[in-house]
Parts: sequence; structure tokens; C-alpha cells
Amino acid sequence: MTRVSVAAPSAQLTAFSPRVRIRRGVSIAFMVAALLAIAVSMIMLGALIVEIAVDGAARLFTDGSAVGREARGGAIIADLSTPDGMRWMTWALPVAILLPFIGPRLVNALAPGLPRIAERVMGVIVVAPAAIFVHILYVRFESAYYVEYAKAVGLDGASGNIFQVLAEASGFQIVRLLVVGILVPLAVFAAGWFWAQRMRRPSLIIPTIVIAGWVVYLFMDPWFLSSFPSRQPPEAGIFSAVTGTLYMMVITAAVAFPLGVGAAIYLEEYARRNWFSRMIQVNISNLAGVPSIIYGLLGLQVFVRVLEFERSVLAGACTMALLVMPIIIVSAQEALRTVPPSMREAAYAVGATRWQVIRFHVLPYAFGGMLTGNILAMSRAIGETAPLIAIGALTFIAFLADSPTDDFTVLPIQIFNWVARPQAGFHEIAASAIIVLMVILLLMNAAAIIMRQRTRTDW
Amino acid sequence: MARNFFTLMRSSAPSASAHGAATAERPAPPAPPNNMTDGADAGGGVHFDLTLEAVRHEINEEVDIALQLRDVSAFYGSFQAIDRMTMPIPQNRVTALIGPSGCGKSTLLRCFNRMNDLIPGARMEGEITFEGRNLLDPNIDAVEVRRRIGMVFQKPNPFPKSIYENVAFGARINGYSGDMDRLVEDALRRAALWDEVKDELDKSGLALSGGQQQRLCIARAIAVQPEIILMDEPASALDPVATLKIEDLMRELAEEYTIVVVTHNMQQAGRVSDYTAFLLAGEERVGRLVEFGPTQDIFTNPLDQRTEDYITGRYG
Repeated sequence: MTRVSVAAPSAQLTAFSPRVRIRRGVSIAFMVAALLAIAVSMIMLGALIVEIAVDGAARLFTDGSAVGREARGGAIIADLSTPDGMRWMTWALPVAILLPFIGPRLVNALAPGLPRIAERVMGVIVVAPAAIFVHILYVRFESAYYVEYAKAVGLDGASGNIFQVLAEASGFQIVRLLVVGILVPLAVFAAGWFWAQRMRRPSLIIPTIVIAGWVVYLFMDPWFLSSFPSRQPPEAGIFSAVTGTLYMMVITAAVAFPLGVGAAIYLEEYARRNWFSRMIQVNISNLAGVPSIIYGLLGLQVFVRVLEFERSVLAGACTMALLVMPIIIVSAQEALRTVPPSMREAAYAVGATRWQVIRFHVLPYAFGGMLTGNILAMSRAIGETAPLIAIGALTFIAFLADSPTDDFTVLPIQIFNWVARPQAGFHEIAASAIIVLMVILLLMNAAAIIMRQRTRTDW
Repeated sequence: MARNFFTLMRSSAPSASAHGAATAERPAPPAPPNNMTDGADAGGGVHFDLTLEAVRHEINEEVDIALQLRDVSAFYGSFQAIDRMTMPIPQNRVTALIGPSGCGKSTLLRCFNRMNDLIPGARMEGEITFEGRNLLDPNIDAVEVRRRIGMVFQKPNPFPKSIYENVAFGARINGYSGDMDRLVEDALRRAALWDEVKDELDKSGLALSGGQQQRLCIARAIAVQPEIILMDEPASALDPVATLKIEDLMRELAEEYTIVVVTHNMQQAGRVSDYTAFLLAGEERVGRLVEFGPTQDIFTNPLDQRTEDYITGRYG
């Protein structure tokens, strides 16, 4: 009788035995493949972003309009470099940023155990000055800029009084001043306050991002975002493209979200597992893979011609809704599947009907995931160009769409149009528009990630 | 064998009125409840025919029957999970279903409140008589059945909502319009949880410990005022202390409710149950009833060799 030993000979216990080397070789091979893939994509993406940023920043942060090409950032820095400006900068900004975070602690430390409503009131009292400080800062920036602007166009407001400048500013500029100058700081600090109260350890990340974004916006040239397209690159803006994008996104969501979520609920909760539901499921997966230009042709025939929507926001939004429907359905199904069967059983066991189970349990628990999927689908929709070109969206829109049946344009089409032009000036503003589009997409994706984290339930 | 059962039904019918005190409280039973001792005059107790092979025990107490199973079979698609089980579930008693894994205990339990309806391809045959109606009849409203026959699951599964909402949910969807606060308090008290959570009813049900969660689930089941509570291994995910609390609770609840409990734990069955059914699956994995009777008899004097082997831990 022979004994079979399963143990390796002692010589192979070393870390340099052939078997160990083979194992390491395998893992290194995969690592190299991963690094190559990541490096190539990251380098390409990085190069692209750098190039776009260099081109686009020129228009985003300088006044490209005919008004003397005064640098907006330059005007602000010039103001800040005066003793008066320095004084503001050195104490107003830190106070404004820190107050919302120190405030709650201060209130808690001075008067612990306050009722919630009193805490809220105290919160407003602490936050309000912070918002006012930032507002004053903003008005200083604006007035410095408007003074430059007024000088250039020969307005009387050149005396430097913000109210005089305001009197001569357009309605849109006033709205912008009010919204950006008052509502944004208030919202930022309300968010900061809320955040500090909610979290045991207040996280500075989100308020910091918001404040940073707001400061960047301060330095940006308002005319690029608030001007219509023009034949002169320095005067062209993306106002109609941004509003068209938002308009289309809202209608797309309104059409696609209820339909998609309804379909997902049917497939996950009601449909029997038979050949019919399997066929639907397979077809949804297939639809997700159909090239977007095909959807454009479908939309052209169905919405533009048969239903006679013309080349309107509505036709574009309906086409986009078809395009993103599979994404919404699949992500909503995923979200529904994350609700454990034990929750459904628990609800059924106390005598709930199927709809009650869905209405009171499955939907609320899955809604965060559904919204996440919807946001991602929308970010896909606003980045799509081909289907809208197919249905004939215009590229030169010098007005805002009043109703869903008006002509429209969107950011990708505006970019496409500008890139296709021969003049270098248009290429620059195309890069600026790309930056704006990219920021919108990143914000939406960030919102989706945050929402997913916040609505996660640990069962 | 079925005829035997009917004989019992007939013989029990005339004497049911003799137990009026016990039966009058039941809301208008269309059929008189069976009384197990009624056949006793035939000579020393009734021998129930359970299934073709099942072993019978004498039942020597006066007790109404909450559920009467007759030839209950369950199928998942083409797979038969349980085969022609016939047995009574005595009212206001704890009945334990024991047996090794895969013998159909949980399947049988889920027949009682039509939970199997939710599983695609599941099918049930036979009769489960509840207040004179066959629960397995397709014309019976499964939603109403589940309200009258509550269930507690193996893994505590409170809703990710507040403790209050967890308890109130069932009553609310069933159109309860009374004092919700009192109902919640009452259910929590009966589930022996009130003292631990009365100051934090807003807290999420998921924030409780495992044993508390399970008692919350019991309170949730009680809050809809069922007549029968089904428990599917309610303590198997809990530590010994929490298990003990659940067991005490089951004994208390048995005064007002009929309880059917599935358990893997032989000691638990011995401690909490009045009646025990031993189920076993053969080679073909079809669950059959082996023995049914008062727990004491089953544990001290099993009539079937397989029951004895299982109880003494020789297999299963």
C-alpha cells in the first residue's frame, strides 16, 4: 500500500518556486492590461480636457464682446488690490464661509437642548449675515465690472455707483444680479447650515464645491451664457442652447420617466414569467443598443411628419424619450430588484394588496435608485446630437422657445455647428460651450451618485 | 381514510353545542367546530387518520379546531413539495411543525395564508377548512385570508420606517379608523416590546436589535387582529436570550391566538407547543406527515420509529 502525499515537496514551499512565479505572472499580466487601458484612456481624456480648457477658458473668463475686451477677472482683481477691496477680502470671505459651520456648534454650546424651532431661528440669525457678506462681496465684483462696462460703452454709471449702473442695465442683468447675488448665497449657506446640523461631523465637501463653483461663476463672463448666437464669435453666446437643453430635458423626463417606471413596475411586479414578458425584456435590451441616429429617423417620421410636431422642442424631447426609455426601464427594474422579497412578503402578510405593497413599500424604497437612473438617462439625452440633427433641430436660434412647439437648439448642436465653421474664433467658443456642457453633465452625475448614496438602505 | 374523517365530522356535529361557552365567541362559524374528544364515547379517544401512513395519537382535551387540513398537497411547477397532509390545527394552542430541512414545513405553513400564491408556478390541492370555508378555493380572497391569518418570518423583516409606522401599516391599509396610537401601543404591549421602545416610536425599525425586530414583526402581525399567527422559525436568527423572550411571548399569545410555529429546534418545540406534527421527506423529496399529536405524547412516546429517531437526534 502506497501513501499519496498531497503536500508539496519542501523545495516548493519557497516563494520562488515555479508555481508561485506562474501565479504572480498571471496577476502581473492582468495588471499590465488594466494599466494600459486606463493609461491610454486617461491620457487621451486628459489631453482633450486640457486642450478644450485652454481654448474655452479664453471666452468663458474674458469679456469677448465688442465692449473693449476688458478682462472681467482683471477688473475684479483690480478692485481687490485696492486697500478697500483687500479689507473686504481678508475678513468678509472667511467669516462668510466659516459662519455656517461654526454657527450651529456655537448655538449648541451656548444653549444646549434648544427646541428644534428655536434652533432654526437661531440658524437663520447666524446664516443671514454670512449671506449678506457674500452678497456685498458679489455686488462689489459686479459693480467693478459694470463700471468697466459702463466706461467702455460711455454710460453715465461710470461714476461707480452700483445703483446707477443698475438703472441702465437690462432686465436680464438685474435678474441675474438678484438671483446670483442673493438667492445663491442664501442657498449655499442654508445648505451649509443644514449639512452642519445633520452630520455629526459636518462635511465641508459639498458646501466647498458649491462655494468654489460660485466663485468661479463670479469671475466668468456673463455675456457668454446670456447671449444668443451671432455671426461674430466674440459676441456669440449659448443662451438659447442652454435654455433649449434644459427645456428639452424637462419634457423628456416628463415623458420618459412615468412611462419607463410604469413599464418597469409592470415587468417586475405584475408580469408573469412567460414568453411574452421575456420577449419584452429582450427587446428592451435590444433597443438600448440601437444607434441613436435610427431613433432620429424614427422621430423624424413619427413626431415631425405624422404627428406634425414640426421641428419643435416637443418632437426632440419625444425622440429623446424613446432613446432613453430602455435606460430608464432597466435602471428602474434594477432599483425594484434591490427591494428584498422579504419586504414584499412582510407587507403581503398583513393583508396588503399588490398595489398597496408597491405603493407603500416597493416604490418608496426603490425611488432613489429610479431617480438616479433617470438623471443618468437625462445626462445621456442632453449629450446626444445625432437624433436631433436627423429631426432637423436648428442651429441658429436668436430667441427663447415660448412653447413646446417652438423651434429650438441644444448645446451639442450648437457645439457641432461652431466646430464645423472655418473661423478659429468659433472653435474657441465651441470649446467654451463644451466646458459648460461638461460641467452640467458632471453636476448631474454627481447628483446621481450623491442620491444613490443617500437613499441606500442597509436591509 | 377520507371517509373516516367525515365520520368524525358527523359525530362531532351534534355535541358541538355542548361546548357553547367555548364556541360562542367565534364570529358566526358557518360549520360547527370539531371537537376532538367527541368520538371518545366510542372507546377511549379518537384515532385521527392523518395521511395514508401517518401515525395517530389520542387527544384528550376539549379543544376547537381552527384549521382542518384535508389531503393538502403543494406543488412548485412539476415538483411536489408536500403530499396529502391531513391534520387539525387546534384553536388557541401552539402547534409546532417539526422535521428535517426540505420536508415541506415552511411550504405547509405558507399554504395556510396563501403566501404560496406569490410564488410563480406554485399550486395547492386539497382542503384547508377555516370557519367552514376552504382556504384553497380560488374564489377565496387571498388578501383577506392574509389579514385574518398573520405571519412572522424567519428573518426579522421590519419595514425601513419608524416603529410606529411598522405597526400601524397593516391596520391603516385595512381601513382601520379607530385610535391608531392606542392600537399601536396595544400591539406593542402584547408583543412585550412597549417598555423598550415607548420613548422612541419615531426611530427606524431597522435600528432595533434582532430580537426586538422580531418582536416588532410580531406586533405588526398582531396589530391587524388576526385569528391565527403563523411563525416560520421565528427564533432561528436570534441569540438564546432573545429566543427565550420570543418563546415566552408565544405562550402568552396562545391564550388569544392560534399559533402555528415551524421550528428546527426540538427543545423549542417541546417547550412552547401543545401539539406537534412531524414531517419527513422521502427519497423523492416529497414531504409527508409522519406523526401528529399532543407534544408530550410525541416527545415521550413516539409511535413511529422515524419520529423517535428524529427526536432523539439520530438523523435529520
